[in-house]
Amino acid sequence: MSSSGPVDSDARVIACIPADEGIFRIALEAPRIASACRPGQFAMLEPSPGAFPVSRRPLTFSSCDPEAGSVTFLFDVAGAGTSILSRSVEGDSVRILGPLGRGWETAPGRWLMVAGGLGIAGFPFLLSTADEAVVMAGTRTGRGTSCCPPGTVLATEDGSVGMRGLVTGLLEDVEWDSFDSIAVCGPSAMMRAVVARTPPRVLGRVQVSMESRMGCGWGVCGGCPVPSSRGGFMSCCKDGPVFRACDVDWERIS
Amino acid sequence: MNPVTEGLPDSFWGIPVPGPVALASGTCGFGLELDAMGLLEDVALVFSKAVTPEPRDGNAPPRIHDTGYGLLNSIGLANPGLDRVLSEVLPAAAGLSRPLVLNVACESVSSFGSTVAALEAGGSHAGYEVNVSCPNVEAGGMAFGVDPAAVASVTRAVRLETRRPITVKLTPNGGDMVSAAKAAEDSGADAVTVCNTFLGMKLDWRTGRPVLARGVGGYSSPALLPLVVARVWQVGRAVRIPVIASGGVWEPGDVLELLAAGASLVQVGTGLLRRPSLPSELAAGIRELLCGT
Repeated sequence: MSSSGPVDSDARVIACIPADEGIFRIALEAPRIASACRPGQFAMLEPSPGAFPVSRRPLTFSSCDPEAGSVTFLFDVAGAGTSILSRSVEGDSVRILGPLGRGWETAPGRWLMVAGGLGIAGFPFLLSTADEAVVMAGTRTGRGTSCCPPGTVLATEDGSVGMRGLVTGLLEDVEWDSFDSIAVCGPSAMMRAVVARTPPRVLGRVQVSMESRMGCGWGVCGGCPVPSSRGGFMSCCKDGPVFRACDVDWERIS
Repeated sequence: MNPVTEGLPDSFWGIPVPGPVALASGTCGFGLELDAMGLLEDVALVFSKAVTPEPRDGNAPPRIHDTGYGLLNSIGLANPGLDRVLSEVLPAAAGLSRPLVLNVACESVSSFGSTVAALEAGGSHAGYEVNVSCPNVEAGGMAFGVDPAAVASVTRAVRLETRRPITVKLTPNGGDMVSAAKAAEDSGADAVTVCNTFLGMKLDWRTGRPVLARGVGGYSSPALLPLVVARVWQVGRAVRIPVIASGGVWEPGDVLELLAAGASLVQVGTGLLRRPSLPSELAAGIRELLCGT
């Protein structure tokens, strides 16, 4: 196996613990992946060594410790696969393929990070590389807010934590020109709304991490198309999952 | 052939192969990603994603759904099209460590002929897989495969344009696969691929709407192995040309079972998407199984 490409290996579970209601944090011992992965990249995790479910689950790296040889992921129990994964215990083995995809284009300066729901999952890793950052997050209820990095500016739709309303409401007072890079991650509709609120003059600084169902994660099945602003589709797993906002055709994002 | 008494194939179409495991079209691109990972070593042949005369963006998303027990896909033959395959893909694939078989899909008999004629000009590919069975496109696709007369016409059109070996990839979705296989054989095919995905659908009962944008898709699953074994068995008894099995392979024993059913080569697809190292894992597992017999 070449040193530059993704590695497929069995990783020992260091811990799998509830991070919030229905949200888990899993830590895996995967030294080769930990030494290679970049913020915004992802891995394909096999929930079970058996045939059920038939495909893996794509999860973005939440943190990475190259010296300890470990990586962590934050995930919602959304279906059968993540339910099985959430029952992992220390010492279990999980097959993991990674690192995959293109991550954030990291740059010096000041970052604005905007998350919707569990889109916050990858920001601790990005934050660890940023000189200075403001993090904003929106969730439906208070669920998930405990996963946000300290200092995150919060909005909840039910008003239980932070401002009542959507994350786009938090953007109204943002001094856009004070940020060198803007990172957005969350459900497609949320990202479309954030991009729509962004002044055109700073749109070139906006990167988005797209979500998609994935068949393979390593660029061959064509199962994760992202509409391109130049027509046709890009591949979320290979061309992304992080894209420049101006490269995505938001009109065709549902 | 029985792999237990006769051993494993060491060649196919006269090409030396390391074993019986090949890669199914649509699950390995043109082999470049796996080769970059160093994972083609135990692969007999790489069957490319479908090449169509014009570039195709593919179907609207969502294109894929994991039901847990199987995978529904509706990719829609997304590919760069004939011109770019000739100018960009085939030159890049020239250094591939295993032979490439080009899967070709068209909407008319004459287009099959002209597309293969154009592909003859470029590349050192080992042969063609004629796709008359895609469940995910409106025109062409499995509409050809369900009709033995149409299978014969397409096969003849391709045969006239090339001396490289041809396999015809058949559909399990309607029609008589044995008749279709005989039609391919009588029209000059050098093998048949049995078979493409099974037409399937998943609805969200809350909304009554399908989860895939196009509605129906192709279903693949290790649970379908007995359906493929039956079809390989039936077709294998009806034709003299080799049968390439495709579908349901998950474990080393599955490969041996398909060989016992009459297959000469066994493609892996959905299992490969999950584990790019599957061919090597199967090869090691097969050695272990046969060692104990």
